[in-house]
Amino acid sequence: MLIDKIVNSIQQVTAELGQAAIWLSVLSAVWAIIALIIGLQQKNAKCLQSGRNAVIATFILISIATGTLIFGFVTDDFSLRYVEKVSSAAQPLLYKVTALWGQMSGSLLFWLWILTVCSAIVVWQNRKAKDTLSDYSLIPIVIVELFFIVLVTGLIYGIHNPLERFPNGLSYPDGQGLNPLLQTPSMAFHPPTLYVGWISLTVPFAYAVGSLASGRISSEWIMRSRRWTLFSWIVLTVGITLGGHWAYQELGWGGYWAWDPVENVSFLPWLLCTAFLHSVMIQEKRNMLKLWNILLITLAFQFTLLGTFITRSGIIESVHAFAETDTGGYFLGFISASTAGVLGLVVYRWQRLKSANRLESLLSRESAFVLNNWLLVGLTLIILWGTLWPIISEAIQDKKAAVPEAFFNQVVIIPGLLLLFLTGAGPIISWKKITPNNFRRMFFSPLVIGLIAGVLSWLFLAFRANASTEAEDEAVVQVSDVAVTAEVESTTLFESIWSFVTFGEGSIPIYSVLCVFASVFVLVAIFNEFYRGAKLRAKRHPTSLLNGLWLLIKRNKRRYGGYIVHIGIVIVYIGIMGSKGFFQLESKSLHLGDSMQVGDYRFTLIDTYQEEHGNYIRIGLTFDVEKDGKHKATMKPARHYYHTTGQGEDNTIESAIHNIGMNDLYIALGDIPANINDGGVVNVQIYHNPLIKLVWIGIAAMVIGGLVAIAERQEYKPRPLRA
Amino acid sequence: METRRLKVIAASTIIFAAMVLLVVAGIRKTSIRHFSPADLVVNAEAADDQNIQVDGVISEGSSTWDAANFKLTFAVREREGTETVNVIYEDRLKPDNFNDGGSVFVEGKYDAGKNLIVATKLQTKCASKYEGAESATDMEGYE
Repeated sequence: MLIDKIVNSIQQVTAELGQAAIWLSVLSAVWAIIALIIGLQQKNAKCLQSGRNAVIATFILISIATGTLIFGFVTDDFSLRYVEKVSSAAQPLLYKVTALWGQMSGSLLFWLWILTVCSAIVVWQNRKAKDTLSDYSLIPIVIVELFFIVLVTGLIYGIHNPLERFPNGLSYPDGQGLNPLLQTPSMAFHPPTLYVGWISLTVPFAYAVGSLASGRISSEWIMRSRRWTLFSWIVLTVGITLGGHWAYQELGWGGYWAWDPVENVSFLPWLLCTAFLHSVMIQEKRNMLKLWNILLITLAFQFTLLGTFITRSGIIESVHAFAETDTGGYFLGFISASTAGVLGLVVYRWQRLKSANRLESLLSRESAFVLNNWLLVGLTLIILWGTLWPIISEAIQDKKAAVPEAFFNQVVIIPGLLLLFLTGAGPIISWKKITPNNFRRMFFSPLVIGLIAGVLSWLFLAFRANASTEAEDEAVVQVSDVAVTAEVESTTLFESIWSFVTFGEGSIPIYSVLCVFASVFVLVAIFNEFYRGAKLRAKRHPTSLLNGLWLLIKRNKRRYGGYIVHIGIVIVYIGIMGSKGFFQLESKSLHLGDSMQVGDYRFTLIDTYQEEHGNYIRIGLTFDVEKDGKHKATMKPARHYYHTTGQGEDNTIESAIHNIGMNDLYIALGDIPANINDGGVVNVQIYHNPLIKLVWIGIAAMVIGGLVAIAERQEYKPRPLRA
Repeated sequence: METRRLKVIAASTIIFAAMVLLVVAGIRKTSIRHFSPADLVVNAEAADDQNIQVDGVISEGSSTWDAANFKLTFAVREREGTETVNVIYEDRLKPDNFNDGGSVFVEGKYDAGKNLIVATKLQTKCASKYEGAESATDMEGYE
């Protein structure tokens, strides 16, 4: 009881303390900007130090504000507007904390807090720096901070200060609760991970701006921000995957990616970040693409804000469209102003941005990198165009159009396959110009083995297609509006080529065959790289091949970490090919005791069950799964019926997923009727998703590769300019 | 020297053109008209037998779920109006958040004679308080 009293009396003041901290942070941020600018202009070390201190002060103040809001959540302070809206007393502690970013004003505060953490780390990293690049770079970071600080003060119409209380001492006994769909571990971690990925991209962007502002346009800013970029890339990879994984497990539609506008805008910064990670290597090695790199990282940063703008403003109608507040306008204004600022600096430094070298041949590693960049940026623009087409078409044709998933599925295939090929070709093609010797030595075996694999996969698919036309009685329901159909038809070469060009039906064999060819090509190419390097090391320090491999990776973490990422990408492609191209779906109404067939598997509904949990009841069905008359698995899909409905659904689909090798069996249920045990029917949807596990495994490999690469510390060593 | 430059320019142009072609072809082939129920009433002729997308709200009391036949029928109503269009959605689970008055996106073939869409895709979102959940950015404040 005493504790309650103490908590109560603390609650009286915490929110006010937090609000005061936010207001003070306006001052500290403004001071940081002024002090840094004056310090840099007058080369005044004391002034610079004061600016850096103000950056740290801003971080501390925003931490206090965030801390007081979390305190409000944990202690169920329902006199706070925001806490009442997204939390409830019965919510588990984890979801009380994650409710912090449950809605907009809290998300903005959280975003701001992460940004201040980044800025504090930048100050700390450069505490012994002998130059002022980091001081230049802190200014853009603090400007972005200031934008978010103004948003969370509550001054702006349409956005409340997250620490605002209800007027007149009003308080509610309980809150409305977080949407049950968000009460899963993936969803607890997906938003903050994406946030961290997006926000940390501010740092390399700030370094680019800092480099422009300081006028020292070497590769220094790239080296200094390299680990930040890699960090963003890894975190974005994880964040996007968590979202897809969550959708797969929770939403019951058996897929993980639907090209929804909100998904697209989270993917675009990732694509640009990937492009940037590659193009900076050209600048480091060959002193080219200086301007391109600055523009690329600017674009990547702006896309993180653009994503927020697109999803916040309601200009795009999406299933996750939002209330149309004015926030979008502020974002658009900030994006325009900051882009104009960067372009102004670019014009100002134009002379220093020229390349020292030129492409020497179209068949060279430089060209491979450039092509990689073209494709990644091209994909970004294509996806953006598709996402924005509904508005564009309305503006230019006065007809409103919708762009279905099929568009994205089709247009990404060819650039996607080219990129896959480059994943192997890039690392093995020689710099400057390919030579016959380089081609023979590096390309011959990957190409030959890749071709053999391609032909074999073609034969396998043709064989499978024939077998499935014979077994016609098992009709396969096709759901996807993916151009590629789930059922493979045998086609002549000419028809295949024709459908390849026209995106026609039956195009799956040729794309799959190309995917297998490119995948095997890449795997062999990269294996060769590892093998050659390891053998050389093993020979040089007489040791085993395995030890040689270890030494190889340890000595050049950046390069070989990158290759591990490439292997991961190949695995993801194969997983996507299988799960998007060859999935099967059956839906049926079942009574207790009924069976249904999906592909080779037979599912029998044998039992029902019910479990009580904290804030929900789980009601489910038990299925017996057989293949060729043999028991393979028992699966228990369910629905959760929540006691407090919160702001969303009062019951949710809890799919059952069972792995068989790399494939998944996936059962989702409709509403379970009360009379299910007395002849009632339940609607059942079952998927067979081939190779889907490879998607998750491949991404894990990408993340591991990224971690290896980020482990490398590189100091900036100015290299002599080669003419 | 100059031919090399020319080659680079030619290659970039080809790639750029190919991408534009890809997008234009993709949009032409896949994009469909979007209507609100009220637009659809006016443009029924033009939309007949076409794949279209309609968005509106689920008309109160219009939906029936036939579990035995795995069939959902309902009407989409204009957000701020009375025009409706009927929808049949078969062999798919009723999506979460499918409630009277809730927002809905329907994709499918339109039959002007029957004022009916045979839906191939159905997506919902809650009319009022539900905040999209797919990604961080949907966490939108709504008073």
